Amino acid sequence: MSDHDNDLSRREAIKLGAAATVAASLGVGDAAAQVRVGGFFTEAEFALLDELSEMIIPTDDHSPGARAAKVAAFIDARLAEAWEQKDRTDWRSGLALVDRLSQEAHKLPFMKASPEQRLAVLTRMAQNESNPQKPEEKFFKELKSRVVYAYYTSEIGIKQEMEYKGNTYQSEFAGIDVSQQ
Amino acid sequence: MSFIRITQAATPEVDLQTTYDAVVIGSGAAGGMAAHVLTSHGMKVLMLEAGKKLDMNSELKSMEWPYEHPRRGAMPPGHHALSLNEYNIRKPPYAAGSSFKSVYSYVQGWGGSDYSKNIVVDEKNHPYAGTNYAWVRARLLGGKTNIWGRLALRLSDYDFKAKSRDGYGEDWPISYADIAPYYDKVDLYLGISGVKENLPYLPDSLFQRPNTLAPAEVTLRNSLRKMNRVLTPYRAGVTTDGLKHNKYRSRCFGRGACSRRAGGCDIHAAFDSPTGLIYPAMDTGNLTLRTNATAREILVDPKTGKARGVAFVDTDSGRSYEAHGKVVVVAASTLESARLLLLSKSTTHPNGIGNSSGHVGHNFCEHVMGPGVTGLAKDLIGKPRTLDDGRPGNFYVPRFRNLSDKNPNFIRAYGFEGGAGTQIFPEHATDTPGFGTGFKKKVRDYAGAYISMGGFGEVLSRFENYVDLDPSLKDRWGIPVIRFHYKFGDNEKKMCEDMANAAQEMFEAAGFEILDVSRTVLTEGWSIHELGTARMGSDPKTSVLNQFQQSHDVKNVFVVDGSSHVNASCQNPTWTIMALAWRSCDYLASELGKGNL
Repeated sequence: MSDHDNDLSRREAIKLGAAATVAASLGVGDAAAQVRVGGFFTEAEFALLDELSEMIIPTDDHSPGARAAKVAAFIDARLAEAWEQKDRTDWRSGLALVDRLSQEAHKLPFMKASPEQRLAVLTRMAQNESNPQKPEEKFFKELKSRVVYAYYTSEIGIKQEMEYKGNTYQSEFAGIDVSQQ
Repeated sequence: MSFIRITQAATPEVDLQTTYDAVVIGSGAAGGMAAHVLTSHGMKVLMLEAGKKLDMNSELKSMEWPYEHPRRGAMPPGHHALSLNEYNIRKPPYAAGSSFKSVYSYVQGWGGSDYSKNIVVDEKNHPYAGTNYAWVRARLLGGKTNIWGRLALRLSDYDFKAKSRDGYGEDWPISYADIAPYYDKVDLYLGISGVKENLPYLPDSLFQRPNTLAPAEVTLRNSLRKMNRVLTPYRAGVTTDGLKHNKYRSRCFGRGACSRRAGGCDIHAAFDSPTGLIYPAMDTGNLTLRTNATAREILVDPKTGKARGVAFVDTDSGRSYEAHGKVVVVAASTLESARLLLLSKSTTHPNGIGNSSGHVGHNFCEHVMGPGVTGLAKDLIGKPRTLDDGRPGNFYVPRFRNLSDKNPNFIRAYGFEGGAGTQIFPEHATDTPGFGTGFKKKVRDYAGAYISMGGFGEVLSRFENYVDLDPSLKDRWGIPVIRFHYKFGDNEKKMCEDMANAAQEMFEAAGFEILDVSRTVLTEGWSIHELGTARMGSDPKTSVLNQFQQSHDVKNVFVVDGSSHVNASCQNPTWTIMALAWRSCDYLASELGKGNL
């Protein structure tokens, strides 16, 4: 790669980085709880899912999290139209299980528990992630998988969090030209 | 930047009373090339395609962001893609008894499947029988070239003369010198990106603007050089400089995200048969296209024993028709072409047309896949984000086994396809453990640091690996379907063990942390590189076609697709399919002119 090419890609990188910063400062990542339209879950279930998704991928100093990216609404809408009824019943019982674990450990439903108590419940669910055995461990894997998909395919996930620079016309290919090496 | 969308000249009306110079069955890489070459010789050609002509711009929507799609690119509920598990634990026909509305092959299980659901077939309409096989089919104008992986490699005399080297199978009836000028023609007419390496076992093409490598790929390239192995930028069947002679295709703009779905390029920088071959052939005024024409039988003149045309069924209405030609060019894909030859039974050709050898459907071969490695380039963790997928492809590691050495455990060889760096979707996120800010930061920091590759190995051509017609099962059009009798053998199993070990060794030598070594061999068919069911040869007793893909038995029948290949080699076949078809169609036109057909 010539010096000229290096210069060009560096300049482009700076330009794209700046665009991402502007988007963040415009408050695209408003962290207020989302208002839902339609969907499958009850209000209480939805609020629980919304909270769980934000705990899995929270807002941090780099970018907004799952709540701002409307992850729960995406999961809810997909479940509402899911072909197999089992998907819906599994999710409903999965969320009920989260409340049950919270009751057992802290004598409170999950959403009434303190942040530390909620963290303890989710941490318990997340153990054995690579080889889930118990129902709550299996539900965590399903929950996380859907949250991850919904978040990293969202505009916030792609542009602000991951700062993806592709899907645009470029005059030069990204990467290193080894044809002269 | 914007592109002018050009619509091509209207095709001449289909005339089923006339006798065309040639009827071409199929419109993929082989059929498209046949149409291009034959029409360029001034021949009047009728092309039959079983599927529709789709507007690829509205199908692919290449630059739609995931969040602009209501299901983030996924198919609607009720559309199901077969999984590896289903292919392995069940038997074909895989869609039988399914409660889903539509069932598709595994490629529809990748992200972005909503953009390709009209391109691949619904397995419910297209059943098959026999042994386990992950068969991927696309019935539409252009066939699988609409979504192909576009790795465009040449074969060499290490492949064409493989029997002379190791004693197994048969040599091809051609050598590299015979086909090299036609590879050059394909390169220049369609465009290819790559880097010259001067390897006798992977000849260079006439490359346009070179493809590039991501940082971890350069690390691996430099490390492999010390092992006397090569990593070269993906030789992509993509025009990177543009093609002045083709108004339907744009040059590549490295838009990225090419791999987020089954495939396809809506600016047609990546080769596809319609814009690369068929539309320009239509512009000559010599090509007539009949879509929705499912070929059912090659018709024979009982007096001469020669082909006189093709019987086909209208795919929508189910009505039967006949088209007539002086020559029939079969290019329906390796398995469909074999099926059609076997379906074409007559008193003169009781075992199917061109099948006096009994070899049609046999010597079926392909590439075995599955073993591979994923590693971490630790020096890239936490580095500022770079664009890594804004290029026509990632990398290829050519074969290194059984070149000058002789492996004690297996014959033939394998190569690797791989890639490194960031993509539009961070595939590692699901497997990154934990949750919360730590999880989120790790996904972010590690996104550019992953590198992985997977092998493609030669499956030996064996007479006992074959397809025939199922005696009872029929497709939606009442046509008998293919029955597989096909299994990987001992050579493939041993090769796959070596593939996984070698992949691990190479990543370790490059200093990558090994995250996963996959030893799972994927179901037969996974590579979508099926080959060899009507092989060429000089002996009519053990082969179906001569060196010009002309039937030994019936002079005016040519089979110009992958079914003619004598072995699979380990290189992806599309470029060879097109170079061979070009050579054979030049010969066909010349022979027709001389009155020899």
